[in-house]
Amino acid sequence: MNETVAVLGTFQTEFKTHHPEHTFAEQAQLAAVGALQDAGMTPDDIDAIVFSLAPTYFMGVADADRWSIDYIFGAGKPMLRVHTGGATGGSAVQAGYNLVRSGLYRSVLIVGAERIAETPDAQNVLNLIFDVFYERDMPLSTNTTVGLWATRYLDRYGLTQEDMARVVVRARRNALKNPHAHLKGNVTVEDVMASRMISYPLKLFDICPRSSGSAAMIVGNMAMAKRFRSRPAFINGVASRTTTYWIGDRMTPSTDADFIDFDLAEAAARECYRIAGITDPLKQIQVTEFYDPYSIMTPVQLERLGFCASGMALRLERDGYWNVEDGAVAVNPSGGTLCTNPIAVTGLVRAIDAADQVMGKAGAMQVSNVRNALSSAVGGIAQFFNCTVFGAEPRSH
Amino acid sequence: MSVYVLGVATHPASLSESRLRLEEMAYHTARAALDAAGVTRRQLDSLTLGACDELDGRPISSMLMSAPAGGYGTDEIKVTDSGASALCLAYARFLAGESQLGLVMSWCKSSKTDVETVMRLRGDPFYTRPLGIGAAIGDALFAQAIGEEFGVTENEATRRVVNAYARAARNPRGMAHPVPTAESVNAASFDALPLRSAQRAPLTDGAVALVLASDVFLNANPYCTPLAHVAGAGWASDSYRLDSARLRSMSSARTAWRTALQQAGLQSAADLDAVELESQTGYHEAAYVRAFGIEREEALSPSGGAFAQNPIFCTGLINAAEAVLQVAGQAGAVQRPNVRRAAAHGCHGYAQQGNVVIVFERAGGVQ
Amino acid sequence: MAEAKKSDKSAVITEQVMLRYDYALGEVAGRFMAGLKDGKILATHCSKSGLTYLPPRSYCERSFEKCDGWVEAGLEGVIETSTIVVRGFEGKRKPPVAIAFVRLDGTDSAIGNYVDGLDLSDYEAAMKKIAPGKRVRVQFADAREGRITDFSFVCIE
Repeated sequence: MNETVAVLGTFQTEFKTHHPEHTFAEQAQLAAVGALQDAGMTPDDIDAIVFSLAPTYFMGVADADRWSIDYIFGAGKPMLRVHTGGATGGSAVQAGYNLVRSGLYRSVLIVGAERIAETPDAQNVLNLIFDVFYERDMPLSTNTTVGLWATRYLDRYGLTQEDMARVVVRARRNALKNPHAHLKGNVTVEDVMASRMISYPLKLFDICPRSSGSAAMIVGNMAMAKRFRSRPAFINGVASRTTTYWIGDRMTPSTDADFIDFDLAEAAARECYRIAGITDPLKQIQVTEFYDPYSIMTPVQLERLGFCASGMALRLERDGYWNVEDGAVAVNPSGGTLCTNPIAVTGLVRAIDAADQVMGKAGAMQVSNVRNALSSAVGGIAQFFNCTVFGAEPRSH
Repeated sequence: MSVYVLGVATHPASLSESRLRLEEMAYHTARAALDAAGVTRRQLDSLTLGACDELDGRPISSMLMSAPAGGYGTDEIKVTDSGASALCLAYARFLAGESQLGLVMSWCKSSKTDVETVMRLRGDPFYTRPLGIGAAIGDALFAQAIGEEFGVTENEATRRVVNAYARAARNPRGMAHPVPTAESVNAASFDALPLRSAQRAPLTDGAVALVLASDVFLNANPYCTPLAHVAGAGWASDSYRLDSARLRSMSSARTAWRTALQQAGLQSAADLDAVELESQTGYHEAAYVRAFGIEREEALSPSGGAFAQNPIFCTGLINAAEAVLQVAGQAGAVQRPNVRRAAAHGCHGYAQQGNVVIVFERAGGVQ
Repeated sequence: MAEAKKSDKSAVITEQVMLRYDYALGEVAGRFMAGLKDGKILATHCSKSGLTYLPPRSYCERSFEKCDGWVEAGLEGVIETSTIVVRGFEGKRKPPVAIAFVRLDGTDSAIGNYVDGLDLSDYEAAMKKIAPGKRVRVQFADAREGRITDFSFVCIE
């Protein structure tokens, strides 16, 4: 069908550890209502729903999307839920995009919520994602496996923990302008270095918070865009790639999907950029909103997504190359996932932050003259990756 | 843009596949589907999975499952609603021009955990969980509601169960469960009134994969012969509530049915030569037969449906594989004569909260 | 069992959920575990791709063919990457613990396990000892139960 897909409305709540004043379903409703109001639409204008929800073990209700259906005005409608771990929100955007592009539906509400603090320790749940025979006896978790990643990456390129710390400083500072962000503030490299060691070389400040909240995005075809949005963002490119689970396969000389340099991201970006007509990312993309629950992840993505050469991102960080105000590209003006990580919807929030920049509704975070913005989402241990290019003009593809 | 099914494979059905890990079941089935289609994994540009973490026993099950299912350097996405739901998303991806050759896969090892405990976990913590509502109670409430709506008696529900087992007994891909007598079914103890344990399809372990191809791919690869053309797909989910109006209306089932038939250019069930329903109980079949207007007994679930095999999460996608085989004339002992068009149905959630209907027709076109 | 508790701000219902799973060992994990009891580390090999895998797999992800051979991995190897887990969690060894992914000689993928015999009082110094590229050897436990913890790595001086 090849329908053009436009973003018609977005909404995200404030993110913090607990939202005791709402149940999960009510939380999802807030986002659905917010996005509808932002688009000036009513529930009848929504043809289908994609629900963004990753592991439900955090909040203890399996298939909580089913429970939420009435709250998001979905009873009787076509609804699907997607789940690709941390990449879920990005996959949800991709699914919504496919549903509109197929011509089957004029509009899709993409919505989700996270209540990560309903279980006391997310890392206990996250230990369970590992192989029961070979890996669960070790304290593997997302923290420890990214610790492994960081060890090798810093070693490979002769970089230090202080280099990584600068990413955190910039992120927290950017988040001061983000009313939705969970963590924000003026921290220094010394603060980061003094924070508690979690899994060498990652310290507490190198790691995202556990955030609860909700988000929603409404996408639709061109006819709907003309009706509801004077300045939509257009989804001009989206691509995903998945690789093997086994990280041990992805760090040896024989690998064809190097985990340390995150080759997977480059493969997805190549396709996404081809479709979106991006040949010179630094020149054509003004804003990136990467999925970076760990400080190591933004530099690796900058390199793989074509903004600089391998091993250079943290060196350029020192020179302020990624600053919003005067950098070569505004990297995570929202503060990124380092400041806000509501796992079920983080990828969706990345997409919303990128789309908002194109639509001119990024508030205090607004970068000027945004022609294209890029968002990403990562799931598993760098196993699932997707990226999306939002453009101010539609590009037929 | 037209979408075709190029190959299908189902894992040998069993009550408990204890020899193999889930990953190995997925590998064997994915590989079998690719081989049946005459294509390699390298040629795939999409993978759409349907799986449930809670049934698989892992919080992000696709981490270990996607590569065995063919997801290596591929665009992969997983839906959690049901196996048949994965086919719906894949279909949309193809219509969107985003994929030319894709694999759709689902699996379920019902023996791995207590399925009813997982179903109860789907209850909201405040109003539903404390009552222990899961699949048994959900299906019982549905049986009661449609019993009243359509005047379905226990005898009819039992007759349908016995007939389903009889059809299933001839299915080479099924469990070949012994066919019970109506008396023994009616004498079985209740799980939750009005449902007797013997009126519910037994759970099994299984997996299923379908290879989809676009017309673009087929034109470029003339040695590939499609089994069926995907003519339409519809899906919808009802309110989470379990009140009488919701249960009796079967709104999402009717929407899914209507949408799929409309896309396929069909008027009614009379246009379909086979309809593979996901009937978890005899009451379900009684309800769907009326809601969908299936009047010809010979078109009704030739495979035996859930009474042939029932890896509950993917039973609907297995129905799709069976419908494809009917249209392709490859269903073996359960083949109906001259099947030009066949529909597959899947349901999921409490009291069939969600429904999926997919219509297949002969690949060469239908007069 | 659920009870509603009142807190200052809002009520909470607490529930503990028990879900039990029977994980089948499958085609290869059983043989690997048996090999550990014999003091061997067994890897699988795919003749089509030429790759040898640890942990062993029943099929090769590169070629998408079944692995068709078993290989005894060398009992020494090189650290691909490592970390010291300072904040651990219940049910595992008490932190701090060192973990390394090691490519044992004769294999193409790295397998993870604890690194023993390290002084973990100084993280920097310990990390230097287990930096990428350092060689280690396998140390088997005296009493083995057919579990990954039957062996660990120790640094080769």
